[in-house]
Amino acid sequence: MRETERLKRCINDLISVLALPAIWTGGDPTHVLSTLLEALRGMLGLDLVYARMNGPPGEAPIEVVRVAGADTFTVRAHQIGVMLDERLGADPRNWPPVTRNVIDGTEVSIVAMPLGLQGEIGALMAGSRRADFPRETERLVLGVAANQAAIGLREARLLSDQKRLATELDQRVARRTAELTAANQGLRKEVAERRRAEDELKRAEEAIRASEHNLQLIINTIPALAWSARLDGSAEFFNQHYLDYVGLSAEQAQDWGWATAVHPDDRDGLFATWQRMMASGNPGEGEARLRRSDGEYRWFLFRANPLRDDNGHIVKWYGINTDIEALRQSELNLRHMTETIAHMTRVMTMGELTAAIAHEINQPLSGIITNASTSLRMLAGDPPNVDGALETARRTIRDANRVSDVITRLRELYTKKEAAAESVDLNEATREVMALSLGVVQKDGVIPRTELAADLPRVTGDRVQLQQVVLNLVRNAVDAMSAVEGRPRELLIRTGRDEGDRVLLTVRDTGVGFQRESADRLFDPFYTTKTSGMGIGLSVSRSIIESHHGRLWAALNDGPGATFAFSIPCEPVGARVESLVNSA
Amino acid sequence: MIATRSLVSVVDDDPSVRESLPDLLHELGFAARAFVSAEEFLASDCVEHTGCLILDIAMPGGMSGPDLQHELTLRRRQIPIIFITANGDHTIRPRLLAQGAAACLFKPFSDTALLEAINAALGTS
Repeated sequence: MRETERLKRCINDLISVLALPAIWTGGDPTHVLSTLLEALRGMLGLDLVYARMNGPPGEAPIEVVRVAGADTFTVRAHQIGVMLDERLGADPRNWPPVTRNVIDGTEVSIVAMPLGLQGEIGALMAGSRRADFPRETERLVLGVAANQAAIGLREARLLSDQKRLATELDQRVARRTAELTAANQGLRKEVAERRRAEDELKRAEEAIRASEHNLQLIINTIPALAWSARLDGSAEFFNQHYLDYVGLSAEQAQDWGWATAVHPDDRDGLFATWQRMMASGNPGEGEARLRRSDGEYRWFLFRANPLRDDNGHIVKWYGINTDIEALRQSELNLRHMTETIAHMTRVMTMGELTAAIAHEINQPLSGIITNASTSLRMLAGDPPNVDGALETARRTIRDANRVSDVITRLRELYTKKEAAAESVDLNEATREVMALSLGVVQKDGVIPRTELAADLPRVTGDRVQLQQVVLNLVRNAVDAMSAVEGRPRELLIRTGRDEGDRVLLTVRDTGVGFQRESADRLFDPFYTTKTSGMGIGLSVSRSIIESHHGRLWAALNDGPGATFAFSIPCEPVGARVESLVNSA
Repeated sequence: MIATRSLVSVVDDDPSVRESLPDLLHELGFAARAFVSAEEFLASDCVEHTGCLILDIAMPGGMSGPDLQHELTLRRRQIPIIFITANGDHTIRPRLLAQGAAACLFKPFSDTALLEAINAALGTS
């Protein structure tokens, strides 16, 4: 009866064990071992059950233990494994069917069996405190379970290997993909960077080309001849304007070829200037005429600047030539004009001036006389032509007014003109007048003498007008002596200080003098004692001196002749300084 | 009588002369014409009929008196010339007379001096 039940139970257990693989599907070895041990302990009422699956060579095995009472056994799975190897030997095929062992102080019957034919997969051990363990049926169930476990574990290992491989592969693929992606990104970045660099280079090149073009444009467009020269002064570069102007090729102008276009008269001077400039190392300039391609020479201003390196050594010279022909011409014209005017106003004496004035006056005067004559003749006719006489008489009056206008205009020329206010050295002005009139003076056998005060203060006024007065007084003196015979014709010009911050100039002659009673009339317009001239010289002179806040007068000498003199205030600078001193 | 009147032509750039002198010349018994320039005179029909020419020396901007004298010589037109001038330089008179001028008067001149010069130029008195 008990045997029958045991058999029945054994068959149930076997069925359960055979069913185990169904729940192992897809599980890992630990899962297989755990479920197996749980099932066996329950089925066989075991106190202790252990299983091991060998790992791949060099790796630790997977060991699992299940106990019936946690308070009885505290042994660990690995300790059981070690115990089995020590007590039962390394080869599972030689393991005894059952052994009695003490574990955790408790005697147990142990059944150990290999998993796999040679135990290559692992080992299974079941322990019980029962002395009759194992019975036949229990050994059968354990044997089948070991078989099932071997198969399940093999599959599980296979699956786990596959999984591991798959995972590994996945990981490797992922790693490789990541590497490739990284490499690809790097490459892409590199390509992008390279492209950017190329773009930048291209842009930079374009910018350089553009700026080069721009520079070229500037150099060839500036309205000047631009050039550069080496340290020895020989030419290196010419802009297009330069080459076009001189009509030379760059090769022809090179070195010293350009010098052929410099005017022969200016060449030495220009070269000397150029050498001096290079010797000094300072910027400089020179002027010379340059021949244009059509053969015409024009004046140019040559200017050069040195280019220095960081150490201050001159590397090169850069220069520019500017056409100053027009400037030069206008300068020349201006100088010529100024000279002519100055000469005219200085040399034209009042006598010569009166000739010009006479011409102006003689024209209407001629009309007056002709008309008056005609008028008289018309009235004297028989019958008298009264209408004609009236008409011609009207013309007479009109022309007389014209004469009057001319004279008014002439007087205005001198009286109303504001004197130019410049600082004048009267000594210097007098010396100039004497130098100019020396010829006339000496021709008349006059002995001129000057006594010019060394400390003469300067005056403020119109230099040319003052010189005109001096000249007029000198000419008058010379004229006054022209008829003098039997005594020396002496002319003495003196300058000196006058009282009240004034400067005095006197012209003394040994001439015929003047009537004492006419002394006041001398300065009236058109009063003259001379046979030539109109008698306005002294009148104009007095106007000039008065416009300088001065005084002009005449006096008879104690001896023969007369003295004309003027006195004008000296430059107000002194007065100003004095007032400052006083106020301090 | 009128037909026998001699034609006296006046060439002067000064308007007061051109205005006054022809009237005086009429009073003195001559036919008179006035021209502003030598060029105007040469272009007129008076060159052939003028018996005496009263000619200003300096006429700015065109032919001078002596220029016209020279031109008439080239044209073989011998007209007696009385030069007049407002310039006070008397040294030119001998030179002008040497070059064939009938007379040289300085402005202002009197009517009698003018009449004498014209009569001398025309060979009448």
